[in-house]
Amino acid sequence: MPNQNGSVYGLTILSPILEDEKASPSHDLQIRKYLAGLPTGEDSPFARTPGTHLCRLVVMDDVIYVGAPSIEEHLKSKYLIFECNLDAAGDGGLERYLRGLAESIPEQLDAVWNHCVGYPGATDVLAFIKYMKACQIETTFFFAAVNDKSVTESLRALQTQKAVADFIARHQGMEASLLRAEFVRFAAKLKAEPLPKPGSMGPKRDIKLGGHNE
Amino acid sequence: MSKLNETDIQGFVLRGYNLPFARYLFLHFEDAARARKLIGALLPSITTGQRWDGGKPQNTVNIAFTHRGLAALELPAATLISFPVEFQQGMRARAEILGDIGRNAPEHWEALWRENRVHACLGVYGISLAALDARCAELQALMDETHGTIVLTWQDAAAQVVDGKQTGKEHFGYTDGFGNPDYLGVERSTQPGQGKLMPDGSWAPLATGELLLGYADEAGELPVAPIPHILASNGTFMAYRKLHQNLATFRAYLEEQGKLYGGGKEKLAAKFIGRWRDGTPLELSPDSENQSIVKDPNRSTNFTYGKDADGTRCPIGAHVRRVHPRDAFGFQGKLIDRRRITRRGLPYGPFAAEDEAVSDSDDRGVAFMALNASLSRQFEFVQQQWIEYGNDARQGNDKDMLMGNHGGKGKFVVQGDGSAANPPFVCAKLPNFVALLGGDYFFLPSITALGMIALGVVDPR
Repeated sequence: MPNQNGSVYGLTILSPILEDEKASPSHDLQIRKYLAGLPTGEDSPFARTPGTHLCRLVVMDDVIYVGAPSIEEHLKSKYLIFECNLDAAGDGGLERYLRGLAESIPEQLDAVWNHCVGYPGATDVLAFIKYMKACQIETTFFFAAVNDKSVTESLRALQTQKAVADFIARHQGMEASLLRAEFVRFAAKLKAEPLPKPGSMGPKRDIKLGGHNE
Repeated sequence: MSKLNETDIQGFVLRGYNLPFARYLFLHFEDAARARKLIGALLPSITTGQRWDGGKPQNTVNIAFTHRGLAALELPAATLISFPVEFQQGMRARAEILGDIGRNAPEHWEALWRENRVHACLGVYGISLAALDARCAELQALMDETHGTIVLTWQDAAAQVVDGKQTGKEHFGYTDGFGNPDYLGVERSTQPGQGKLMPDGSWAPLATGELLLGYADEAGELPVAPIPHILASNGTFMAYRKLHQNLATFRAYLEEQGKLYGGGKEKLAAKFIGRWRDGTPLELSPDSENQSIVKDPNRSTNFTYGKDADGTRCPIGAHVRRVHPRDAFGFQGKLIDRRRITRRGLPYGPFAAEDEAVSDSDDRGVAFMALNASLSRQFEFVQQQWIEYGNDARQGNDKDMLMGNHGGKGKFVVQGDGSAANPPFVCAKLPNFVALLGGDYFFLPSITALGMIALGVVDPR
């Protein structure tokens, strides 16, 4: 199944953008403007959707003509591209994820996809799922960075790794029985810790937009 | 490919001179015509890459320019804007990308590097201090004669000499200078482990275009280079970084952690970088120093990490394993062939014996230089991803133990095998052992290009 590798699903959606000569600014520009203002990282609306490993939204105007001897070609439409790595373990898979999208961030989805042809809105969840699947194309290859673990498992693993490393650094060399008591207390505390927010476990880097990180 | 024209390439690019004394003079040009005249006058003195069949010279001279310097020399605008963007910007503007923030941020650099006045670096090496001084006096005479430049300041550096013999030791006590890469067409005494790893386990030279502009690189592409081609060809880019070493902090930390670590202090020091302080690779000799390995060119750099995936011999985050991962990322080492740099440079400041009292404020460090065809793809990538981040090495957010800008946080994991002499260990609350005091990006032109600059005939058309 080329869209799926283990429990991770690589979703690619191409939604044709509305062509309306009367729209000002045009629908693709309206999408671009909205996307440019969306927060990233843990504040991203997609971080609120269960099962999102990563995702990206792109407005594709056309194919670029690079000059002779290439042939000048054009797309039939402008497209919104939605690429997403998501959890698809167990029953439901893609459908469960799309349902989660519609239920957690309907306003944001509508703000983007309302500019696309045939979009039914996110309130009608079944129609939304049907629409997204109709726009889906095969992914074949996608970025693999999560070792077949779910978002929850990854966040828990990162939290555990950091906590255990800190514990070792603070306690290494301690007398065995004392260490055991400390560890039991630590393990109980760690177990009770809430799951970190998606997008919160990376290094605190000042990511700049607009190609300023290269 | 055919043999390179060594008479057209600055010697500093092709070989480490292994001369014990160095002075790096930082120049400012006030007038383009006079500066060009000076470059013309310097040209016969510039050391080329020709082999020294008649023995080592007494001294050497090489020259490199910042983008600001090339602008001050009034190169055509069409040429100036054709340089790679990171070189045009200079190292200070790249601080966030390089992780040069906090204590290493440009606001803490030496005045020389906070200002925009460095136009060129004149690198002079000598077999003795007298030979170095003599050459510098000749250069000064040329500068006086042509009024071609102001010397803003200079940086002296020197190898540690023990019993009259030059050593490769830096201030933390490690033997440095192993394993610069081999490049196709560059004649030098090569040894296994210095080029790129081949599928059959042997080592081959890297593509010339990883070091020199105008030649195919490891992707079969020409490196991004300024126009005209003849200005770029046989030239390279250099990152110069003045790295202050907090020797007192290093010694205190090693002493304190060495008492807690079951393998002992010297082994812990070896785990930090992946070599014992005498240079023995941990991968080949995990339990002790071994001079027979260090002195054997067939062994001293000839190792891989494939059989040490758990890092129980050489820690996964050890300095040498980070900056030259060999086969550690799989794919038979293919992922690293475009991330190699050639290192030059010497320590500065007085050497202190182990029992000698030291302070972090002592003027002591290393004048570090990295040469590469692409500053962004090679030096900057290594600094950003492998020194200041640990993801490629599967060390999460951990930074390089010795070079990292830790700011009192962060950790370094010593993987162990559970035995008493090789236990796992975590070094935490890492201070900054090294502080960046400044530096910049330079272009080292070919001899032909220097001549064109001197004559003012660089023509981008």
